[in-house]
Amino acid sequence: MRLFEYALVSGVLYGLFYGFIGVGLNLLFGVMRLVNLAHGDLVVWGGYLAYSLTTSAHVNPLWAIPLSIPLALVGGLILYLITVPRLRRAEDTETSSLILFFGVSQVLVALATMKYGTNQVTLPELGNPVMIFGQPYAASLVASAALAVPALALFYYYLYRTRLGLATRAVMANEEEAVASGVRVRRVATSAFVIGIAFAAAAGPLATFMLGGINPTTGGGLTITAFTIIIIGSLGNPLGTAAGGILYGLASSLTQAYAAPWTGMVPYALLLAVVLLRPSGLFGRRVRVA
Amino acid sequence: MASGLAASALSASLSAGASGNVISVGTLYANTGSFATSSMPEYAGLQFWVKQVNAAGGMYVAPLKKKEHVKLVSYNDQSDPATATTLYNQLLTQNKVNVFVADFGSVLTAPAVTIAKDQKHLLFDITGSGTSFFSSGPNPYVALTSLPVSAVWPKPVVGLLSSLKIKRVAILYCQNDFDQAQAAAIKGFLSSKHLQPVYFQGVPTTQTDYSTIVQAIKGSNPQAVLEFGYPNNDIAFLNQLKSTNTHFNFVLTPFPGQLPTLFRQDVGAKALGWQYTYAVPPIMRVNKVNLGLGLNSFLAKFAPGKQSTVNFLNVAGYNAGLAIQAAFAHATSMSQLGIRAGLTAVSGKLQTLEGTFALNKAGAQVGELLPVAQMVPHGAGFQFKIVYPATNAQKAFVNGTPKYPAPKA
Repeated sequence: MRLFEYALVSGVLYGLFYGFIGVGLNLLFGVMRLVNLAHGDLVVWGGYLAYSLTTSAHVNPLWAIPLSIPLALVGGLILYLITVPRLRRAEDTETSSLILFFGVSQVLVALATMKYGTNQVTLPELGNPVMIFGQPYAASLVASAALAVPALALFYYYLYRTRLGLATRAVMANEEEAVASGVRVRRVATSAFVIGIAFAAAAGPLATFMLGGINPTTGGGLTITAFTIIIIGSLGNPLGTAAGGILYGLASSLTQAYAAPWTGMVPYALLLAVVLLRPSGLFGRRVRVA
Repeated sequence: MASGLAASALSASLSAGASGNVISVGTLYANTGSFATSSMPEYAGLQFWVKQVNAAGGMYVAPLKKKEHVKLVSYNDQSDPATATTLYNQLLTQNKVNVFVADFGSVLTAPAVTIAKDQKHLLFDITGSGTSFFSSGPNPYVALTSLPVSAVWPKPVVGLLSSLKIKRVAILYCQNDFDQAQAAAIKGFLSSKHLQPVYFQGVPTTQTDYSTIVQAIKGSNPQAVLEFGYPNNDIAFLNQLKSTNTHFNFVLTPFPGQLPTLFRQDVGAKALGWQYTYAVPPIMRVNKVNLGLGLNSFLAKFAPGKQSTVNFLNVAGYNAGLAIQAAFAHATSMSQLGIRAGLTAVSGKLQTLEGTFALNKAGAQVGELLPVAQMVPHGAGFQFKIVYPATNAQKAFVNGTPKYPAPKA
C-alpha cells in the first residue's frame, strides 16, 4: 500500500513535469502543424544553460529558467524568420517541417557535443528530500511539479484569457475561417512559435533533474515523450496537456512499482489505446468547440 | 571451401599491404549517443596503441617475418546498432581491413559478432562481454580482450556477499546481455544456497527515472542492493538514492570503477562513499607485463601530467591493441584462422597491464577477472580499496577490508 501511495504521488509529480515538457510542442504542432523534432533538443539546451550557470557562477540552477526565456524568445524569433515563412509556403507543411526540424535537431546535438562533450551532466540536488504522506521525494521532483503548475496555468491564461490566445485557438480550430474572420495568422503563428520555444527551454533545467542528467542526445527521447503526451491529452488544450502528462507519469510510475520490465512500453501502449479509442485525445472535443 | 576463404583473406591482406604496406585494423567509435561516454576513451586507448606501435617501427608480423606499420580505419556509429551494422560490413567489404575491433559494450558489439561469424573474419571484442556472444560453442572468429564474460564478473561479488553473510539481496538490472548475465549469475548463486533474491527486476536500458523503483527495492528490505546498468543508469540510480536520502547497507554498481571522474562529477564523492564497484585498472595496478607498457608507464605516457584523468576504458582500448599485436606476432599465416592461432598460442601466457590474457574456445576472456572495491571516504573525496579478490593471484592487490554495514554518509 505504501508503495502504491508512493507510485501515485510520484506519478502525479512526474506527470506535471511531463505536461510542462509538452506545452511548447503543443503550441507549435497545434497552431502551425509544425512537427518540431528539435523540441527535446531545445529542452536539453535549457538544461545545459542551467549546468553552465551552476558550474561557472555557482548559482541555483533554477535561475536558468527565467534566464532561458528571453534567450529562447530571441533565438526562437530568429529561427522562425529563417524557417517558418518558407515552410508555410510548402505544399505539405507537416512533412517539410519534419525534415527541417530533424536537421535543426542534428545541428543542436552537434553543437552541444562540441560545447559540452558526450558525457552525462547532472545538476546538484536542490535540497533535502520533501516528505509527502511520510515518504521521501526528491526536492527537485517536487520543485519541478510546483513550477509546472504555474507554467500550465500561464499557458491556460494565454489561450483562454488573452486576445492573442483567442486568435490562437481560432487558428488551431480552422485557419481559413480564422483568416476570414480577420485574425492575423502570421502574428499568431510568430507568437505561438516563440512562446513554444521559450516553454521548451524553460523546462530544460527541470528535465536535467528528472532524467537523472542530460547528454547531447537526450533530446530525441524527450521529443517522443512530448508528442505522446500531447496526443494523449489532445492538441491545443492546456488541461489536456496536464492530463496527458499526469496519465503518462502515472503509467510510468505504477509500472515501475509493479512491472518494472514493462516500463518502456506501457506509456506507449496507453498512447495506442487513446489513439484507437479516442483519436482526438482525451480532451479533443473541447478543442473543436473552441 | 575453407581454403577458398583462407585465400580470400590472404588476398585482402595482401592488397592492404600492397596499397600501403600496413596492417589495417578497422574499428568503430561513438562520438554521440548514450555510449559515447565509454566509447570515446576506449577509442583513444586504441589510437594510443597504434601511435606507440608505429613509433617503434611497426609490429612484428610472424607470417611475413618483418615489422609492419598499423593503419587504423575508423567510423562513427553514433551509438546506433543499425548504423554500426552497416559500418562493420563496410570495414570488411570496402576497406578490407585485416582484422576488426568492436565498439564499446555488448549493444554495439552484438552486430559485429554476427558479422564476424558470418564472414569468418576475426573480431577483437574489447568490452562486449555479453554471455550470448560466447555461448554457442567454439568460435574462432571472436576474441574478448579486456573483460571477462559478463556471467563471470559477479564471481567475487558472490564471494564477498557470502563472506559478509548477506542473504537478502535485491537485484536490479538493465535488459541487455551485459547486465542480464550478471544478474542471472548472482541469482544462480543464491539458488544454489536455496535463497531467492528479495527483489529481481529488469528495466529497459534507457531507464533514467528510478524514483518508484528505489522505493520498491526499499520495501523488500534487502541487506545488499546490486544495480547492474550502463553508466547513465548507474548515475541516475545513485542520484535517486542521494536525492531521497535512501540508505542501503551494501550497494554495488559496475561503472564507478571504470569512470571514476565522471561519477565524482555527476554523483559526488560523498554519495559514493562506502559503495562497491568492480576494481579495474588503474584501480588495480599491474606492472609485471611481458607485452606493452605496465600500468604506471601507461599512465605516464598516455596522459602526461594528467594521470588522474585516465580511466579503465583507455586501458581497455590499449589492451585490445596489445592483443592484436600478440596475435600477429604469433600468427601461423595471414589467414583469419592463422591470426587467431596466434591468439591461442599466447592465451594464458600473455601478461598485460590488465593481467593474464586467457581465452576459452568460445573466445571469451577468462583471465582478466575483476576484484571488488569499496569506495572509502578520504578527505573530501574517496579512495578505492580492493576488498575482495577474484583469484588467489589477486590477493596481493587487496588493500582494505569491507566496511559492512556501510555507514550513513
